[in-house]
Amino acid sequence: MKKLSPLAYVPRRGTLQTASLGPVALFLGAYLVVCFLSSDPMVLLAATAGAAIAGYGCLADRAVKFSFKLGALLAISMIVINALVTSRGATVLARLGEWPIMGRVDITAEAIAAGAVIGFRAMGTMVVIGVYSACVDPDRILRAVHGVARRSALTATLISRLVPLAASDQARLSEAAELRGPGANPVGRVAMAHRLLSGSLDRAVDVAATLELRGYGQSTRGTRFAKVPSRFDSRFWVAGTVLMAAAVLSLVLKVGEFVQYPEIRYSPDVFSISLALMFALAGFTTWRHGGRRHAGNR
Amino acid sequence: MPEIAETGAVERGIGRPALEIDSLTYRYAGAPEPVLRDVSLRVEAGEFIVLAGRSGTGKTSLLRAACGLIPHFHGGEIAGSAIVAGRDTRESGPGQLADVVGYVAQDPETQIVSTTVAAELDLPLRFRGDHPAERARAVEEVALALNIPHLLPRTVSTLSGGEMQRVALAVALVTRPPLVLLDEPTSQLDPVAGDELIWLLRRLNEEWGVAILLAEHRIERCLAAADRVVAMERGSIRFDGAPREFLRYATDRDPALATPAARMFACAGIEPLPVGVRDARSTLGSLGIQAGSGSRAAAGTPERSRRDAKAGALVSKGLWVELDPGEGPVDVLRGIDLEIEPGERVALMGRNGAGKSTFLKSAAGLIDPAKGRVNAPGGIALLTQNPSDYLVRERVGDELSGPLGDAALDAVGLQISPESDPRDISGGERQRLALAIALAGQMEGEALPALVALDEPTRGMDRGLKDGLTKLSLDLSERGAAVLISTHDVEFAATFADRVVLLGDGELIADADTDTVLSGGWYFATEIARVLDRPGLVRVEDGARWLDENLQSGSGA
Repeated sequence: MKKLSPLAYVPRRGTLQTASLGPVALFLGAYLVVCFLSSDPMVLLAATAGAAIAGYGCLADRAVKFSFKLGALLAISMIVINALVTSRGATVLARLGEWPIMGRVDITAEAIAAGAVIGFRAMGTMVVIGVYSACVDPDRILRAVHGVARRSALTATLISRLVPLAASDQARLSEAAELRGPGANPVGRVAMAHRLLSGSLDRAVDVAATLELRGYGQSTRGTRFAKVPSRFDSRFWVAGTVLMAAAVLSLVLKVGEFVQYPEIRYSPDVFSISLALMFALAGFTTWRHGGRRHAGNR
Repeated sequence: MPEIAETGAVERGIGRPALEIDSLTYRYAGAPEPVLRDVSLRVEAGEFIVLAGRSGTGKTSLLRAACGLIPHFHGGEIAGSAIVAGRDTRESGPGQLADVVGYVAQDPETQIVSTTVAAELDLPLRFRGDHPAERARAVEEVALALNIPHLLPRTVSTLSGGEMQRVALAVALVTRPPLVLLDEPTSQLDPVAGDELIWLLRRLNEEWGVAILLAEHRIERCLAAADRVVAMERGSIRFDGAPREFLRYATDRDPALATPAARMFACAGIEPLPVGVRDARSTLGSLGIQAGSGSRAAAGTPERSRRDAKAGALVSKGLWVELDPGEGPVDVLRGIDLEIEPGERVALMGRNGAGKSTFLKSAAGLIDPAKGRVNAPGGIALLTQNPSDYLVRERVGDELSGPLGDAALDAVGLQISPESDPRDISGGERQRLALAIALAGQMEGEALPALVALDEPTRGMDRGLKDGLTKLSLDLSERGAAVLISTHDVEFAATFADRVVLLGDGELIADADTDTVLSGGWYFATEIARVLDRPGLVRVEDGARWLDENLQSGSGA
């Protein structure tokens, strides 16, 4: 019996698992948009928290913990790297002198803040992808993709299966990394990420071949994937539309702008606080009446 | 030119042949040499053909060419033609051939594209545009035929390798294609499931008229079911004929391809060579040698494992392990008591899902016990099922370097340039390199860790590669390490192990010396044991010696 990857999809009665792909994509997509485009650390952290709450509401606890840990590690690395490689900023916290290749290294509060914004972005994105991977049935994605990419099995596989394949590969590669003898060269994160990506792409090609063998490219006009409506669809349509509109509006109006250079300038106003609260609390959209226990196994 | 023997099976074909390959030569893109050379093969409707040959002789490529993956998916250069049920694979891609050919590849994990088993079986029918009622019936029937109705609601990520292989076969059959191609479908199956699969294929072949082209290394499993055997060597067909003629060809030309029973008969000078256990017993009966002693030895008891060892390589006391495959926690191991001493060579066997891999991972500390304990006091090096998972870089020297790396490479007998790319070396070398990575730094001088464990290392290996692995395990045990190998391959277990531990549904059900365990059952028994049914006779050489003695004495034993 295999240990399941934390990011693997498990069929449950949670709202994200049962709702249609369109409204779920809009809802999680709004979180992704704000993580990519906002530079307000408060909004980024709130969006991360909201995505985590959404995942918890659908019993994707393992996926949330796993992706949060991964995202936090990435965020810390980015803060450290940015602090070391960027000497811009007026508030010098430490002068580390001349370093080979890098030259003069000054640690500034501004560089740390800029690294933190990039790190928070990465962390939020990881959590959203983790929730998506654990809660959205790849079959639904395949059906949706089939409507627009009828001929390309590879496109369908990359969209619907790459994340689950990468999740299962990651579980196996991590086990193998733990089993390396202490005398073997350690597996660096970069080498591991490269191996994971190339291995998952190779396997995706194999899966695409399988999909073709099943007759994917040969779909007839009679091939129909019936839409199964869910009573949660309207909830996610509304929440997703509101969040997406708020995210776009905040960018247009430059709400909660966070300036890092030459000096940190951040003055959160009522709009940015509202936006952060909205994204954090919207996570509860996925919770069913009666709490998490109602989202148990199907 | 291939040796062509007469076969009655060819005459059974009616109408259009299921597959017609004519002078096919194919080279993968960027490869220096063709992998298929001037191959011609005709498979009539309703034939059951076994494709034999050592690793790397072109069997998989031939199957890929027969379902259109070559050239449509793999590219490369092709000459000649492959016609499936009247459709030329150069003009029709795999998708267009999906209704006339089913393909089951080696790795079942890449053959499953849906979330649940029911959805997986339904998918090709949906693509074909079948009516929902037709789809429901087809799914139900193929599930019944393969004895997997209980798997229909399961999530595929929770299936064992054997279950996945069955599902992959069911998907290949659900559209009822006239031709099914299978690439080592039993490589991940336990002996029970492997035998069941072969006889299921034979039944489908006889009752549904499905033509079967089956590539297989463990040929003793499927020879009795086959109408014809096609043997490949260096990309060409060297033999095409009836199973019995194939055995003669194999014993003369490449004994590694022959079945254990055939090799035993050849060693003992008995003719004709047997294509299966029943055939062998019949021949022996006609010679006055009665198989079966009537006094069956005990198949081993778990008692042996409870002895006290002072410095065990592995100690497991009342080990319980619980895993949650996503559908609620399950006890995978239940109260395992086992001790293994340095220098022992132990085969860990059992059905798919019996808990073998979980036990090895628990021993290596990857899984925490729910109760009891397991530990390897002198260290453990574990190689999991996919050696490639250990290789993350593009130079061998970046994986292993310095004196610790050199010592580990020496320990596994691998001489390889540090500049080599691990992806370019052979499967056997890759396995040794991965084992060296697991060993590196765990050795004190030349002394190995007390336990070296390998999980299903013989998947996809021909007999020559298995012999290399046997030699490696003997070498490691002579240097003081206990070698614990989880395997479904009883013939391999008989050659490398001096002790066999059998797990059943998470419990230890037998633990004794190899000769006792592998001659004391039906499924977990070598072909020699099944033919002779004598306590302790499990290997070709022992069986041949016993036959010699009985033939000379003229007694019927």
